[in-house]
Amino acid sequence: MTKRIILLATLMFATVPMLVQSCAVRQDVYLKSGAQIWGENCIRCHNAASPGTFTDDEWDVISMHMQDRANLTEEEIEKVIEFLKSSN
Amino acid sequence: MLLLMSTYCVAQDSLSTLHRQAAHNQGQFKPAKSKFMMRGYFDTYIDYQRVESSDRSNMAIGEISPIMMYRESNKLFFEAEFNAFFEDGEAKAEIEYADMSFVLNHYMTLRAGYFLLPFGTFGEKLHPPWINRSSSKPLGFSQTRLIPSNDVGFEFRGAFLLSRFKLNYQAYVVNGPQLVSEDGEDQFSGMLNFGYHADNNLNKSIGGRLGFFPFSNSMLEVGLSGFQGKVGTDNSEYDHVSVDMTAIDLSFVKNVDFIHGIIDIKAQFNSVKVGQANYINADDSTTTYTFDNSSTAHYAQISYRPVISSKYLRRFEAVYRYSVLNTPVGAVWEQNASEISAGVNYWIDWRTVIKCNYRTVNGLLGNENQVMAQSHHFVVQWAMGF
Repeated sequence: MTKRIILLATLMFATVPMLVQSCAVRQDVYLKSGAQIWGENCIRCHNAASPGTFTDDEWDVISMHMQDRANLTEEEIEKVIEFLKSSN
Repeated sequence: MLLLMSTYCVAQDSLSTLHRQAAHNQGQFKPAKSKFMMRGYFDTYIDYQRVESSDRSNMAIGEISPIMMYRESNKLFFEAEFNAFFEDGEAKAEIEYADMSFVLNHYMTLRAGYFLLPFGTFGEKLHPPWINRSSSKPLGFSQTRLIPSNDVGFEFRGAFLLSRFKLNYQAYVVNGPQLVSEDGEDQFSGMLNFGYHADNNLNKSIGGRLGFFPFSNSMLEVGLSGFQGKVGTDNSEYDHVSVDMTAIDLSFVKNVDFIHGIIDIKAQFNSVKVGQANYINADDSTTTYTFDNSSTAHYAQISYRPVISSKYLRRFEAVYRYSVLNTPVGAVWEQNASEISAGVNYWIDWRTVIKCNYRTVNGLLGNENQVMAQSHHFVVQWAMGF
């Protein structure tokens, strides 16, 4: 059991940051807009909510729920929320 | 005079202390960043069914599932979902999940509590009726004793970009499921009890999922999940029994120009292998029996929703699903069945849908006489996320 936990921790704390550091993100992916990320990701599970559905405060709460559920990166969710707040 | 002056000085000092305290408090207790929200989902349906030559119809509600979400800060978050439902005429309530999370860095979030297990995608993301395109769960996925659903423990999860790809991961440690082997539950011997339990052994179960987006527009995701742990109770004859589970899931969602609509494909294959064990025979408690305790459950679903100028036609969606469940040969709960489901959905708005669904199930449906059976269902379901 201990070995498995050590293996798991090593995998996460060592491999993940190394991978992230070693591979540069392609420019067009890095520069995606919040609207584009919103359009591509919401429909993977459900219809996309229009920006006016929720208030700015509500989007702040939903962003934390959706970042986990949709496996979005921190940069992605920040761009999406910025877009939704600017459009509602 | 001296007394008056000293009293004045003490009063002034007290006042300035109060001012300092107020100023300090003002700096310390800035306007609240915490935010609370309640959302959830609900569904109601009519189910007309024919099992062999017997007809039955029933109107019912599914689950009332409020979700509480509390954002303490941009790092700290709590959420919990409750399920209220009727069972045998009685109202009951369960906790679906209750967990809190802390954002450790750009690439990792720590979550702890009672959470939905990321074993494939259906159980964690696609099961709410307003998200699930079909009116029912695929075969095996509604079995609470076959596929991991929720458990208590902690989890690390995150996502990151690599070149033009995206990867996401979840890795967790939980109490783990428990083997059903006790008297009084003989008909379920060899199944697993998932959910919230006090751990029956010192061993913790571990699991995880790795998701890979090969295209930069996130239209395709392929995921691989694993789960391993001991399920037998310590110092019992089932002490040695463990389980290994794997799942492969796929999601493809794309607006395809030449068919003027959105194609949505979802699939998941699950394999569950429980270690060898001897179970007490229900008919004769002095004898035991055993079986190869391996099960599989999988489904594939495709849906199409037109993206055209007509605002009425674009609300419709066609859906088709095929699912299969194979549980161990020789178990009392043996099931070997397949299901075909087809239907049309009408979207009232982005989170409210009316589904008209036909579903037929063929095969061994776990009946004690081991007779092949066929059932037909026509379901109209109205589901809403709120």
